[in-house]
Amino acid sequence: MMKLKGWNKVRVLALLLPGLLIFGIFTFYPIVRLFWMSFFKWDFGSFFDQKFIGFDNYRTVLGDENFRVAFANTIVYTLVTVPAQMMLGLFVAMLINSITHAKIFFRVAYYLPVITSWVIASLVFKYVFNTEGMLNYFLTNVVHVTSQNVHWLDSRWGGMTVAMLLGIWKGIGWNMVVFLAALQQVPQSLYESASMDGAGAWQRFVHVTLPGIRGTILFALVMLTIGGFNVYTSTKLITDGKPGHATEVVLTWMYYKAFSSGKFGYSAALSFIIALVLAVLAVVQFGLMQRKEDD
Amino acid sequence: MKKCSGRIQTAILSAAMCMALAGSMTAGAAESSVKDEDSVKTQASGTEAAAPSEEVTLNFWHHYSAQSPENETLMNDLIPKFEKEHPGITVNAVSHEWADLHDKILISAQSDTLPDVARLDSAWVPEFQKMGILVPLNQEMSDFGDVSGGLLESAMTTAQIGGDSYALALNTNTKILYYNVQGLKDAGVDVPKTMDEFAEACRKLSGTNKNGQQVWGYDEPGLSGWNLCPFIWSMGGAITNEDQTKATGYLNGEKTVAAIQMFADLAKEGAITGWNSGDIPMTDGFGTGRYMMLLEGPWKVSELAGAYPDLEYAVAPVPAGDGGSVSVLGGEDIGMFKSAHKDAAWKFMKFMTSEYAQEAMAKCGQIPCNKEALESDTVKKADFAPYIEQLKTAKSRPTVASWSEIDSKLSEAVTGVVNGDTTAQDAMDQLAAEVDELLAEE
Repeated sequence: MMKLKGWNKVRVLALLLPGLLIFGIFTFYPIVRLFWMSFFKWDFGSFFDQKFIGFDNYRTVLGDENFRVAFANTIVYTLVTVPAQMMLGLFVAMLINSITHAKIFFRVAYYLPVITSWVIASLVFKYVFNTEGMLNYFLTNVVHVTSQNVHWLDSRWGGMTVAMLLGIWKGIGWNMVVFLAALQQVPQSLYESASMDGAGAWQRFVHVTLPGIRGTILFALVMLTIGGFNVYTSTKLITDGKPGHATEVVLTWMYYKAFSSGKFGYSAALSFIIALVLAVLAVVQFGLMQRKEDD
Repeated sequence: MKKCSGRIQTAILSAAMCMALAGSMTAGAAESSVKDEDSVKTQASGTEAAAPSEEVTLNFWHHYSAQSPENETLMNDLIPKFEKEHPGITVNAVSHEWADLHDKILISAQSDTLPDVARLDSAWVPEFQKMGILVPLNQEMSDFGDVSGGLLESAMTTAQIGGDSYALALNTNTKILYYNVQGLKDAGVDVPKTMDEFAEACRKLSGTNKNGQQVWGYDEPGLSGWNLCPFIWSMGGAITNEDQTKATGYLNGEKTVAAIQMFADLAKEGAITGWNSGDIPMTDGFGTGRYMMLLEGPWKVSELAGAYPDLEYAVAPVPAGDGGSVSVLGGEDIGMFKSAHKDAAWKFMKFMTSEYAQEAMAKCGQIPCNKEALESDTVKKADFAPYIEQLKTAKSRPTVASWSEIDSKLSEAVTGVVNGDTTAQDAMDQLAAEVDELLAEE
């Protein structure tokens, strides 16, 4: 690489500055400020006169029963939706990859949920699963499975399941596109030689396809795990944490504590706990993949 | 040929681009000219303010929606009249969304850019008082007693914290009983006047209708203080003591627990519903005859007229219990911040709570707090006339800064009782202990 001379350095800096400035003001500074807030008693009563309380906010968060419920809900949401999206997305990608006609139609059809607004999709799901909703109408008046309306949204796991279904339905398309691109990178010759060696479809999938798209799997896994922890719109709109706070996820809980209860210090600490969990998860996921590659 | 069509395509594309560019440029030019006018205006008022005479620009933030008749009355009638009566004072009114206004004030408090005067949801007053940004009016304004004496006492309590008053009551509202006339007639139920009759009516009105759909006697769309307080108070219970320092003995008192128990029993029997995520929304349920009764505010009238014009309903006072017929107060206050031009701000606040301004706003459906305006013909003929009687006994929710947190805990606890996880007494005992701690921190 060419060494930068004085004038060039200035020019490079000048070009980088706007981007860095925006990053600094809108990303870096808020993060540092938030970290700072998490060590203070920062709520309505102490808005101008915050007291340093060390790790008290962190202790409060970890000892809070509602936080544990929200955290468990988030973990379950991630554990269910991430593998389901990836498997279904990969499955659809392989089907589309192997057909010759109407490829574009199917690609568009499966991608449509991705470009649908989260708000609209959530409201439609809520409408379908309402106690007086479409699904109950179908069950009671069309197929007559039950005469009583089922309260889909009114329990912790009922509400969470609907949110998870929405997450999966909406995520398949993105996975399909990502995996479709990856599948096209796997050399056709590998499949041909595997077939010649007598490998069946399943063996070709395990020994050719999967190793060929390992990088993409890792990428999708990390992105979707972060996405799973970021679930907000769907649960907020479908159940809004009800009943009680049984269907809160970490982000709805964080928002609730900050903007409804005015516990800004609490929410700051909570967001750093989540960030830490996500960082550890990402490191572990990359580590696992690395080790497999070394094998 | 191919090349030629390529050229045509390029030509079309570039033409389209030119048009788009031109369009955006004219739009931009139009915008900037508007902005210029604005900046000229602000500059003008800025120089006026700096002049040695007593020229003051008051910033007034409110949440009358921008397109509403209230905003029109404010901008075209009230403010011009005020400015004419008080030469030298210019009012710069800014409309915000309800939720935005709350957050905006929080943020402005930190950056020291608060307006002079704001219309505040009465539930926000304790929060902002605790932040120390509101002016204690009774201490700083010599004629405070005269002004507050002319306003509804119950509404004024929403801004009373620890013996001081931090705002003036601007408009008020409360909830009364709505019922489906035909539904009650069909079931042979009289309009409930007492809480016992109410519970009985809920039971009789619930069941299934002709189409085999479930019908509930009563709908309550949540389980927070706004929803439960009318029942707790009317049945003789309380959230805290008079001084708002203690909950044990009140929130877990016999009568409060009885009110919660009544709710839980009725819910178990399928006589009432509404707080579950999957339930029918209130207006739709009432409009389609699935909910027979509601407690709601004056805003429901226009909502029902718009969505269900054929619905035959009527209103009645909240059923009375040991505590009388006590509903819950909503409404807005008007307050000034510590950074305000206090004299001018006070003049504006007095104007907004005067008989003239209150009657003008009453025409748009805002229930006045000014006693003289309440006696006017406008009010007597208004849709909200039935509310005036209920307002005389209505109470405000506790005016403590931790109310939103207490409120959320209350709703959690009662959800547990209604779902049958705990008994009313256990839940309220535990809740009262937690609320005591919160109140001790005040």
